[in-house]
Amino acid sequence: MRIEFQQVTHSFGSTNALESISCRLASGRTTLLVGHNGSGKSTFLKLMNGILKPSSGRIWLGEVMTSEYRLSQIASMCALSFQNPDDQIFASNVEKEIRFGISNTGRDGSLFLPLVETLHLKDALSQNPFEMNYAMRRLVSIAGTAAMNTPIIAFDEPTAGLSMREKNYFGQLVSLLKELGKTIVIVTHDLDFMLQWADDLLMLSRGQIQYCGSRDAFFGSARARPVIRNCGLRIPNYLRLSRALGTAQPCFSASELVDGLIGKKGEPAPP
Amino acid sequence: MALISFENFSFCYSATAVPALQNLDLQIERKETVVVSGLSGSGKSTLCLAAADLLGSFPAAAATGRLHRQSDPSGGGPRTAIVMQNFYAQISYLRTTVFEEVAFGCENLGMEREEIIRRAGEAMTATRISHLADRNPLELSGGEKQKVVLASALAQRPEILILDEPLSQLDPESVHYLSEVLAHLRGKMSIIIAENDPYLTLSVADRIIILADGTKIADGKLEEILSEEAETHIDLPAWTKCVQRARRHGIIRDSTVKESYILNYKQALETLMSLK
Ligand SMILES: Nc1ncnc2c1ncn2[C@@H]1O[C@H](COP(=O)(O)OP(=O)(O)OP(=O)(O)O)[C@@H](O)[C@H]1O
Ligand SMILES: [Mg+2]
Repeated sequence: MRIEFQQVTHSFGSTNALESISCRLASGRTTLLVGHNGSGKSTFLKLMNGILKPSSGRIWLGEVMTSEYRLSQIASMCALSFQNPDDQIFASNVEKEIRFGISNTGRDGSLFLPLVETLHLKDALSQNPFEMNYAMRRLVSIAGTAAMNTPIIAFDEPTAGLSMREKNYFGQLVSLLKELGKTIVIVTHDLDFMLQWADDLLMLSRGQIQYCGSRDAFFGSARARPVIRNCGLRIPNYLRLSRALGTAQPCFSASELVDGLIGKKGEPAPP
Repeated sequence: MALISFENFSFCYSATAVPALQNLDLQIERKETVVVSGLSGSGKSTLCLAAADLLGSFPAAAATGRLHRQSDPSGGGPRTAIVMQNFYAQISYLRTTVFEEVAFGCENLGMEREEIIRRAGEAMTATRISHLADRNPLELSGGEKQKVVLASALAQRPEILILDEPLSQLDPESVHYLSEVLAHLRGKMSIIIAENDPYLTLSVADRIIILADGTKIADGKLEEILSEEAETHIDLPAWTKCVQRARRHGIIRDSTVKESYILNYKQALETLMSLK
């Protein structure tokens, strides 16, 4: 389901979090929403999912203008996993927490099992989320969101505070959701890990869009450097390596980089 | 004697069946910087709370062994500041501006107002939040709040600074900047950082400790403790991971490279270059 912002402004009192931004995210794509602290990323997601109403401008989800719909109707189109999982979790056990989203949006629960598998939550279903460690609570909030099986799914810093093991679980979840044709928006500071899943980038600085479009076109353009700087980012490490090595394609993960190098020599990949 | 020492220390929260820390032996010296890494649930946060002497406020099913914090001549424990993993809960709700919030941590230390103002200013510069000085600390973005809590810990200039994933919500530029700030503090106080970011470990740690299921499985300099086993518990720099992957492909012939981990960017690049 496509997402479109038309001259959207959002102010908190005298603070302008987003200033007259316009952008289109095409259906079925995975977009990384990036920018410095306070650039407006979380505000963007909350506007998209209707928790916040724009001070001015229009937001479209598919053929629907959000201002004309109730929050519960928007919730069946777009699910959001919050930056702080503790703002989201409320149920007394993990299974209830995950199933709540399903019943709330009235959508089918077919994603429940695959999610529990992918995020390795099987043994935790009867546990109380509030007695689990931070990373587990994060996974539970991610599962609860994805379980809603909405056409648009948004995650606010899903890998923050996760160790490599859980980050990889999340990566697998993104692959699964991509296969299902979901439109995915992920706010992240972790470009080294997340870029390999991205089709597009939406880059913010001080409440304004610096870039909106394909990942590969961005890193191939001369604008990349100044925009990265403006957005409080740094050149992704795998890209930096692949440039230094002069690989034919820009690389965004260790496997792309090394297997690419070796592919040239025609040697077999490890098991 | 070490500033903090754990001797055969175990701790089990009453809500869970598995102990969060098990038979931990660990000494942290004065002015040492120690990074604590390990998978989620390995006990990093519990170690941080214990080092800050805060475990007493959690209901425990069992706590055994000894935890000793060297007291200063005046009798009190060492002055400690902590940034918790759930830093949101550390905002005081008692102050209405970021500046006052940062200063608040110093107010209990019996400092002159002038000194407090100077320190709060410095800490806000170090965490890059000077532009937020007059804003309400409750009305900020996630990363901005984490910086406020960090600033208020830094402003206290404690003897022990304990940071539990202090950079988790920060943008990459801020992470880079804060790493430099911490590198500057190194050697001026004891610093304990629970963190899985390998770049931070490389730039600030005197020592890294790896926890697994509440037990210490490695303790030493990063380059000394790396092994296939350690690799499953911690993250490595991107270039090190690339060399490791090439190694697994069996295509690295240089025997010194074969045996050791390459943590240096240039050296890793040269190794990868030789594969082309
Ligand atoms: N509840 C609020 N009241 C007032 N201002 C707010 C509130 N929440 C956010 N802001 C301000 O709006 C701007 C955008 O905030 P937002 O949370 O969208 O940033 P972000 O890009 O998600 O940042 P981070 O990376 O730190 O999470 C910031 O200047 C922030 O201080
Ligand atoms: Mg945010």
